[in-house]
Amino acid sequence: MVRARGLGVLIVATLFAFACGSSGGGGSTSKGEIDIASDLPTSGADASSGLPTQYGAQFAVTQKGTVDGFTLKFVPFDDSVNGVHNPTKGAQNVQQMISNTKILGMVGPFNSGVAAAEIPVANQAPLAMISPSNTNECLTLVFPYCQSYAGYTAAALRPTGKNNYFRIAANDTHQGPAMADFAYDTLGVKVIAVWDDQEPFGLGVANNFATEFQKKGGTVVARQGFDTSSKPDFHSWLNRAKAAGATAIYAGATSATYGCIPRAESQGIFDPSTYYLGPDGIGDAQCISDAGATMGNDHMYASQGVADANSNPSAASTIAAYKAAHPNPSDTAAYTYAAYDCAAILIDSIDRAIKANNGNMPTRQAVIDQIAQTNNFPGLTGTYTLNSTGDPTTPALQIQQYKSGAWTTIKNLSVTS
Amino acid sequence: MAAMVQRLRGSVLTSPTSSAVNLVGLLVVAIAVVAALQRIYQSGPTYFFQTLGFGMAQGAIFALVALGYTMVYGIIELINFAHGDVFTLGAFFSLAVMPLFGLTAGKAPSTALILPLIGLFVVTMLFCALVNVAIERVAYRPLRHAPRLAPLITAIGMSAFLEGVMFIWRGPYNLAYPDFLPEQQISLGGGVTIAAKAVMVIVIAIVLMIGLTLFVGRSKLGKAMRATAQDRDAAQLMGIDINRTISATFFIGAALAGAGGIIYGLYYNSVAAFDGFQYGLIAFTAAVFGGIGNIPGAALGGFAIGIIAAISDGYFSVSWTQIMIFGILIFVLVFRPTGLLGMRVPEK
Repeated sequence: MVRARGLGVLIVATLFAFACGSSGGGGSTSKGEIDIASDLPTSGADASSGLPTQYGAQFAVTQKGTVDGFTLKFVPFDDSVNGVHNPTKGAQNVQQMISNTKILGMVGPFNSGVAAAEIPVANQAPLAMISPSNTNECLTLVFPYCQSYAGYTAAALRPTGKNNYFRIAANDTHQGPAMADFAYDTLGVKVIAVWDDQEPFGLGVANNFATEFQKKGGTVVARQGFDTSSKPDFHSWLNRAKAAGATAIYAGATSATYGCIPRAESQGIFDPSTYYLGPDGIGDAQCISDAGATMGNDHMYASQGVADANSNPSAASTIAAYKAAHPNPSDTAAYTYAAYDCAAILIDSIDRAIKANNGNMPTRQAVIDQIAQTNNFPGLTGTYTLNSTGDPTTPALQIQQYKSGAWTTIKNLSVTS
Repeated sequence: MAAMVQRLRGSVLTSPTSSAVNLVGLLVVAIAVVAALQRIYQSGPTYFFQTLGFGMAQGAIFALVALGYTMVYGIIELINFAHGDVFTLGAFFSLAVMPLFGLTAGKAPSTALILPLIGLFVVTMLFCALVNVAIERVAYRPLRHAPRLAPLITAIGMSAFLEGVMFIWRGPYNLAYPDFLPEQQISLGGGVTIAAKAVMVIVIAIVLMIGLTLFVGRSKLGKAMRATAQDRDAAQLMGIDINRTISATFFIGAALAGAGGIIYGLYYNSVAAFDGFQYGLIAFTAAVFGGIGNIPGAALGGFAIGIIAAISDGYFSVSWTQIMIFGILIFVLVFRPTGLLGMRVPEK
């Protein structure tokens, strides 16, 4: 505690010296540099979703260029170890960000499990975090089951007692049920087998899916957790699911935890027209490659915790500019524009914090306070108002179907609570 | 049954307290067996044979990998940790050379694919065999008279090296492995079916294993291998070239692992750089289960673990699978410390 305060004093002192030094340099030149960091899994198996997300955030920072006379710089971090997102690496990255006083906030992380490791570290600095894709509800909300299944509570992640973490994605209390409603109402599935990868995200979204599906009147069979530290053999379980009468499968997993391997292994057990459903974690190219030629078909659906930017007419020009800068289709993924929005909200908040500080470099706490004030911010993926616990007040979701080579939005949903 | 239990208990038990403990152990196993049989009976024969098929297919791959472990351990008492990665290398290499045989993704399974597949098997097995012989030459042979721990560490090093090479080569992604095996279910009569894919995997593995058993049992080199395993010095005095014999052991073991790698790819349709490590551990367990150094034992151990896993996955819960495999393993080793079919290692 004492150490944290000491660090805070040091930071403030450094910033003060910095601000004084640069303000003497003249009016029109840059007042200094403000860095926006990102922490995403950008190498290995997770890179197919991590890199396009990083590009989105980067694009927002370079597009904006400066804020109130300060030059903006984008500083990306990679939280992958051996190609898979790693909470310890994430926490180390945040330590590094904290030691760089120019960094006023970070976009990320991508994975809920990484967020749980990073929030306590960032909280003590404090450093603003804003994630495009974290969906585990226990990161921000209080539920009796959080300690037992996620292994943490929102309060325990914030040792200072003040919030520094925000996100724009709909949490799993929305994503799981949204797919359950879609499966039951739209696809007409009545009996479904559900598995999860025993990670905070996968288990959480699968439980929420199962609860809602049963509430609708559907039946969940062969509910199973798999140890995905190495690749499991799913055949016998799939056969058990089939024998129990399942007509669809829900995977509470990501592509990095073998989310679509059961889809390939179900060939010969289930008909290729059987529905295979999952959360945003399977809505990427790796999933399709894993599902194989026959089973990777248009009977696969994934939910995404943000709305589709393409259906927002005022986003069209920015999307076109992004696509001109990143023409490769694999550079755009489900959370690219959400990451853009996160970076934009962060820059907007920094702007307000600078103005409130008479044009000088704001403190990190001031930036956090301004993010919490975000009200009707017009983003590409939606209009965001953030509440004090860090969640968007009216989160939006989309259901995507794998169609002719790409995940295609077929339904946008908004949640009003 | 009671007499056998009595005899088994007599062979290991001395004190009355451990007798009670073992009785409890037996009781637990008996209850588990009854529960399994009851569930198997309730679910009917089709489901049982399908589950058995999945278990045997997985077990066949374990067995092919286990054979390499057991042969090497039998002859030089070394746990070749790199063996699991030679297996993955088989899958990676076959994936890379596949187009040379006209095998490209999307080709429908047909009899026209049999010859190219045989060619693929031969080339991949040869490649893995040569890699393993090179590993032995570089990392194990210079340490043959060094303390036992030294080659163990070089083996772990070789495992990390191979994984690193594959990681750099293709990245950590799951690579899609094309599917050339038919998807049909084969009817066994009476409404009982089994997946054709599983049957093919099992048949290929069994053919390779029978070939190996015949080779070791009948051929001159096989005899030399057995003699070297029994007593290296005496074998040398009889004029057997020890280095050549040990190289041959690594060669054959890796050829089977390479074949296992292709079968793994064809069966699961995906492979990643680190898959082999876990497979190696399970295969090594299978080798100990069947009796280390014992070739039929390793095959039996592999199939046994595959079948136990499938029955646990299919009838109970995947969460119980590891507990069941290792529970049964502990149970077997307590009563038969040398494994199911007995150990065959050099006599000192």
